[in-house]
Amino acid sequence: MDELREQIELLQGSANLATSIDDVQKTIELLTAARAKIETEPHKAPITLATLQSPVKASLEVAQKDLKPAYFGLNKYGKALDKKFKDKPLPTAENDALSSHPHLINRAIAMHLLREGQFSVASTFIDEANRNPPHPEPTPGTPNPYLNDSWEKDLAKDALDSKKLQQHFGAMYHILHELRQQRNLRPAIEWARERSDVLEARGSNLEFELCRLQFVCLFVGQDENGHMTESAEGPFRAWAYARSEFGPFQIRYAKEVQQLMGSMAYWQNIVDSPYRQYFYNESAWEEVALSFTREFCSLLGLSADSPLYIATTAGAIALPTLLKLQNIMKEKRTEWTTQNELPVEIPLPPSYHFHSIFVCPVSKEQATDTNPPMMMPCGHVIAKESLDRLSKGARFKCPYCPNESHPRDARTVFL
Amino acid sequence: MTTPRWLLCSHKHQTTTPRPNNTPPTIEPPQHARTNHSNPLFTMASLTKLNADSHLLLEQPLLRFPHDLSRRNFKTAQRYLENGTKELTTTLAKATKAASKSASPAASLESLDAMIQKMQGMKRKLEGLHEEELRIHKSSKARLQYLQDLYDVQSLDDVKYEDWSQKRLVRLLVDYLLREGYVESATQLAESKGVNDLVDVEAFVACHRIERSLREGKRTAEALKWCMENGQGLKRLGGMLEFELRLQQYIEMVRQGHEAGIGDGVNGLGDGGMSLGSGNGASRLVEARLYAKKYLSASDDFELVGRAAGLLAYRPWDGVEPYASLYSTDRWNHLAEMFLDTHHTLFSLPVRPLLHIALSAGLSALKTPSCHSTSSVPIPITSSSTPICPICSTELKELARNVPYAHHTKSIVESDLMMLPNGNVCGSDELRVFNEKVGTVAGWVRDPLGGRSGEAWKEAAVQKVYIL
Repeated sequence: MDELREQIELLQGSANLATSIDDVQKTIELLTAARAKIETEPHKAPITLATLQSPVKASLEVAQKDLKPAYFGLNKYGKALDKKFKDKPLPTAENDALSSHPHLINRAIAMHLLREGQFSVASTFIDEANRNPPHPEPTPGTPNPYLNDSWEKDLAKDALDSKKLQQHFGAMYHILHELRQQRNLRPAIEWARERSDVLEARGSNLEFELCRLQFVCLFVGQDENGHMTESAEGPFRAWAYARSEFGPFQIRYAKEVQQLMGSMAYWQNIVDSPYRQYFYNESAWEEVALSFTREFCSLLGLSADSPLYIATTAGAIALPTLLKLQNIMKEKRTEWTTQNELPVEIPLPPSYHFHSIFVCPVSKEQATDTNPPMMMPCGHVIAKESLDRLSKGARFKCPYCPNESHPRDARTVFL
Repeated sequence: MTTPRWLLCSHKHQTTTPRPNNTPPTIEPPQHARTNHSNPLFTMASLTKLNADSHLLLEQPLLRFPHDLSRRNFKTAQRYLENGTKELTTTLAKATKAASKSASPAASLESLDAMIQKMQGMKRKLEGLHEEELRIHKSSKARLQYLQDLYDVQSLDDVKYEDWSQKRLVRLLVDYLLREGYVESATQLAESKGVNDLVDVEAFVACHRIERSLREGKRTAEALKWCMENGQGLKRLGGMLEFELRLQQYIEMVRQGHEAGIGDGVNGLGDGGMSLGSGNGASRLVEARLYAKKYLSASDDFELVGRAAGLLAYRPWDGVEPYASLYSTDRWNHLAEMFLDTHHTLFSLPVRPLLHIALSAGLSALKTPSCHSTSSVPIPITSSSTPICPICSTELKELARNVPYAHHTKSIVESDLMMLPNGNVCGSDELRVFNEKVGTVAGWVRDPLGGRSGEAWKEAAVQKVYIL
């Protein structure tokens, strides 16, 4: 990287057209001087022109010669690039499975822009995409993309046309803005309260977390609009707030409510109390904001982070491995036998795993709908096909412990 | 970055990460060893380690494109200067000669003025190129800095990596939008994210203008001009673009000739053939023949040249192959595609959008058999501890349907799995935390997937599951 940067700095600093332009200017000056001379001494015109020839020629030659540093500089930079990207081919289109589904890509992009709060870019994009709809191109996986085209177009239309998604995310960003910038919990609490049944069914703590933070804010002396007031009144306000709002939380959050109430005893000196952690937690706001975003997106059936972001990032992590695989396959002139499954394991960080994965310890195959994991009465799990092969329909011994069982006693496991 | 369900609630989950509190891992009997994802090949450290060099696969065009552009810029400057020099020296020589003969100072002044004007024109052009050159170098430098930022990040779990990767996504999106011709959105997005130096809006706009001139305008002039400007590069590449453009130009001349021929009356059309005798149409055909002689005869594809010659005898509406397909308007689409291919290859740009390349790989790397499963339990909305999988999310679900799923050699499940009487399996910690939270009566359990009001079973009915 340093080498590249040095080269670029050289190109920016001196190895460019500037000197040649100066040379051209000098030539112009030579010409103007000659012109002035002819004007004052017209009779010397022939000789003036004759003596002009060689300096003009020389000066333009210098201009051409002065291009050389730029020429060499560009070449050197190009060589440095070659070195940097040695053995790194440009990504080819061989893995491309997406050119046959342009409408779905556009939909994913529109939704991504909306969820990122880029509303005006999104509306420009939707407008342009509607005016110039994309054309699907065949890929190895979908040789005949036009078959699905109209269906996919309809699917995309929902996302592209509807203002609903934008309204949803508009509301989300409003609430987040109030939370993060204004330190105003009210809109978030209202949102959570309207959906308290769904949230509770999901086992979400969001509503309580928001109310607890509101309690804390009041306690340390902010009024309901986030403005600081006389801090002595704070604990009283907080107490009043708890009395009016914490009722529904009594059963589920008995312990937490008790703790908050206990803190009242330390109202004069909360910093040295055992309850300090609730009151001086800098990250509390960011935590509720994240938890709110997650719940908000989940209720829409969407993941909290942009799928487009996660997928492209995972793709960038996977590319070196896939490229290596491609090279090996080209060398051996083979193709992978299992079309449904990648032939190589991609080392993704654990935060990129979202589902449980079951790999049968006997067959080393991943469980699928048709080959689900089965648990034998001893608690060991193997894939259904392995079970059938081992048992042949009769009692058999578990491959991992002395226990014997009948295949009909095995139960399908839903991971 | 979201944390998967089994990392959210369990500190006991066996991974090779250093535990936050440094407690030693609990030792389990070997035959009941907890399952985990710690494949011996991929330790946690190696999974999150960021290898910047191999991460640059998607970034090569980022540096190559401006370099190719600045090389072209330089070549243009060189050409201007060379031509200007040649012109000036000859006109100066001529003026000197004329002055020595006629000795009219006025004429000398006049020719000097012309020369000065020429030089000033050239200087202006060079200044324009210099400005462009500096702009390109500035953006190259910004790009190098952007890549340098990646080298300063060690781990894929680092927040800095997320920032960097977000920027990359913007870049990929802008690249995609530009290739699709959605220039407005591309410009807006690049501006709102402040990545103008990292994207090549103007270059793509210029490329699209030429593509459209072929596809929609059915004109070869712009594309031929582009071929001229990139002559050296194209020669190195050895493509057929220029020849095909010339051929098209010839085809159009022939077409016009035949069409004008109808207006010329019956004299040339007596027996249904076309004679190259007289009339407006005929003269156009002669022109076309001269054009072909000039530009097409150098080709060694004699068969094609022969076919081109045959056009003179067959009219567009005769419908005789192989001439009909040469007359076909589909050729314009073919030329547009060919131009795009040549343009992208010349400037080291991948033929397909980078977004497709990254996304295709990513969809497969993330996809699991459960993502499009019809039988497994619907996890998404019911539990708050479960982040929704990006493949299962509406945005990508259909897109991922046709890609292969990731390969795994080891199970990835929560530790301490328990099976509920309904066949659902969940980690014992998650089960405990959920039931505490929803306030299930002691001694009983509810399925976290069933929600708060789901069926409750006696604890004894829950069985431990061993996944190896």
